[in-house]
Amino acid sequence: MKKWPTWTKTLTVATAFLLLLAGCSNGASTSNSEDTSGKAGTKESTGGELTYALATSPDTLDPHRSGLAVSVRAFRTIFDSLVVQKADNTIQPWLATEWTVSEDGKSYTFKLREDVTFHDGTPFNAEAVKYNYDRIIDPETKAANALALIRPYKSSEVIDEYTIKINLETPSAAFLSNLSQALLGIVSPTAAKKDGDQFGKHPVGTGPYKFVSWIENADIQVEKNNDYKWAPSIVENDGAPYLDKITFKIIPEEATRIGSVQSGQVLAVETVPPQNIVSLKDDPKTQLLQVNTLGLPYTLFFNQRNKPWNDVNVRKAVQLAIDVDSIVKTLYMGTYERAWSPLSPGMLGYDESLENSVKPDLDKANKLLDELGYEKGSDGIREKDGKKLTLNYVDGSPNREKRNDIAVIIQQQLKEIGIAVDINITKDTATVIYQNADYDLYGNSQVNSDPNSLRAIYHTEDPEATMKMLGGGSDPELDKFLEQGTIEHDPAKREEIYKKVQQIIIEKAVIIPIYVFPYTVAASKKVNGITFDSLGYPLFNDVRIGQ
Amino acid sequence: MKEAVNSKTIWNAPKWNLIKLKINLSASNLFVYVAGMIVLFIVACALFPQWIAPYSPTYMHTEFILSPPSTLHLLGTDYFGRDVLSLVVYGSRDSLIIGVVSVLIGGGIGGGLGALAGYVGGVVDMIFMRFTDILMTIPGILLALAIAAALGPSLMNVVLAVAVSSIPGYTRVMRGQMMSIKKRQFVAASRSIGTPNWRILIWHILPNSWSPLLVMATIGLGTSILVGSGLSFLGLGVIKEIPDWGALLAQGRGYLTTGWWISTFPGLAITLFVLSVNIIGDKLRDMYDPKTK
Repeated sequence: MKKWPTWTKTLTVATAFLLLLAGCSNGASTSNSEDTSGKAGTKESTGGELTYALATSPDTLDPHRSGLAVSVRAFRTIFDSLVVQKADNTIQPWLATEWTVSEDGKSYTFKLREDVTFHDGTPFNAEAVKYNYDRIIDPETKAANALALIRPYKSSEVIDEYTIKINLETPSAAFLSNLSQALLGIVSPTAAKKDGDQFGKHPVGTGPYKFVSWIENADIQVEKNNDYKWAPSIVENDGAPYLDKITFKIIPEEATRIGSVQSGQVLAVETVPPQNIVSLKDDPKTQLLQVNTLGLPYTLFFNQRNKPWNDVNVRKAVQLAIDVDSIVKTLYMGTYERAWSPLSPGMLGYDESLENSVKPDLDKANKLLDELGYEKGSDGIREKDGKKLTLNYVDGSPNREKRNDIAVIIQQQLKEIGIAVDINITKDTATVIYQNADYDLYGNSQVNSDPNSLRAIYHTEDPEATMKMLGGGSDPELDKFLEQGTIEHDPAKREEIYKKVQQIIIEKAVIIPIYVFPYTVAASKKVNGITFDSLGYPLFNDVRIGQ
Repeated sequence: MKEAVNSKTIWNAPKWNLIKLKINLSASNLFVYVAGMIVLFIVACALFPQWIAPYSPTYMHTEFILSPPSTLHLLGTDYFGRDVLSLVVYGSRDSLIIGVVSVLIGGGIGGGLGALAGYVGGVVDMIFMRFTDILMTIPGILLALAIAAALGPSLMNVVLAVAVSSIPGYTRVMRGQMMSIKKRQFVAASRSIGTPNWRILIWHILPNSWSPLLVMATIGLGTSILVGSGLSFLGLGVIKEIPDWGALLAQGRGYLTTGWWISTFPGLAITLFVLSVNIIGDKLRDMYDPKTK
């Protein structure tokens, strides 16, 4: 009897393994056929097919249900947004031509473009926009990150066919910026109603490319939308894209992915590991594109629910003992920038004064712990009241962006001040971190467009929240500033508010920021015109394949 | 094996054949000595790594990140700047623990089950053997993967996973031994004078049947280290301060084009150890196999 659980698990793993094998063989067979079509496209500068290797498989291509950056990279080609955010954080028209905000900041009125149609022929109008936003807040949709972005959305009113008024529960300075994100992209109401929760398998939008096919764990294909003439101002080509087709291939293994672009099997690959960035820089056939992603950099969060990490001085000691510079230099070989703040550079209100504000100082760190009564034991580990000072460092698997290796270095660095670090790697961060909060230190990052995203992480936890917040601390001062930041409409004043927020977070050692993730693409020199939006997602409107 | 028996039963074997046999023996003996020395050295590494390794395995030489083999770092440094030689020396401990403990557990349980099945026979035999048949239908590495995935990553779970996947082999061999020996005349003689079952099992049958198990265990030691390394490589091991050989291999995988030495030397260590253990196992089989005596 006892054997049953093992058996079911064995079977699951066995099935998964077989699927994996099947997936591999699929990938191999399609790559052959692509070689020939790729050559045909190289003769002229328009047309042709771009093969673009993704590092992980998207979860869904339904923008409202997705939670992964890799999915956005694929479906940004299929969906447009009402507005677009430029690199200077200003908001420009896209599917909406102009808009007004009411006095109280609680309603937005958008004029929409009148010449837009969805790939399935459905006309784009105010009804379609209303359907989209109502769909996100409908609990049946089970929207993920999109739901957090659209809040405090209340309702939409169709004023006329191409005018829509959106009402909010409370004013939100981040609203327009959030609307620019692909996660709030506009889906075809006809297709979404028809396919229900399967919409993510057959996405239909208004974007420059139309969805063709998705073979699980192998590739996603999109083709040119010939009717496209409503490109945002951040790309040069405002008409239909030059390429006939893009194939997003899924190649999780780093070495294989880099090898495929070097051997010419694919034309571009994403997420190049640092050691390969260094070696590809000298490759005459390959170009490297690199853009820093916007949002919250990779940051280690103390779990303030656990003792002694609720004590600011213990956290400060750790902050002083961790040599982030050395970690970033060692692991990323100068290809990643070090992060200093809970916000990444380029975000509205990013506080440059925090740069170089924290320097490793082991003496000071030791002194802090001595004063708190932590005595070093015979093994060099500090103790207080018979309890060893241990830090439970949890990280996810697989080892994304060498995050597990950061843990290995921090383990050594904290040993210097007498803190023992237990590293626990789990595949199930959803349970360990967000359900049980069973960690002392855990790192995460987020791609986002507005500093209001800090509120979801650093504001005191909503007692009714189903998912535990990272950190889990409570600071009335921080709460006050975060609330002000949400409703303040004057950008200059918002900047000041968020600078305060960042300073408090670093001063109280709530977190340890580690690195700003650069999105890297290695592409054949034949490929021209890959551009990136303000969040660091690739755009393919201007891409041509030369020679 | 049968040929060996045949050549011994032939009375007038030609002389040149004997000479060749002698040369073969000494050549294989040389291999056994070398293999034995390698195993001894690796065991010494596992027991007293601090005497052999030139540096602390966890110390990160930040000014020597990814430096190729040199006089300062004989086997180079990894991407943390840790000395690869020291890592391989220290890493031998966990690799050996995985090997030895899993063989002890697997051999103990498998041997026990096999002995019971073979001696008692009947329904017990049928139940035990069907159970091992089921275990045998699943590839060992897959079974180990499933166990490691279900129980979570830890050194003990890797050991357990490797042990469980090796049980069926031991069970089958032990059962076969039991069945042949319990029908021998000396067992029948002992039984005829009224010796109790447990005494026959412990005094007469076990001592006569353990040698194939010993041979299997020796070779199994190598296999266990390989499977354990495989599990660590696939990321189902643990992240420890001092990684075992399999984990070292896995860590260097992303650096094969830029720093071949990170994976190559732990890989060589695994190869050398497993090869040596297999050579010794082969020798043991030659010595204990009753058919070649």
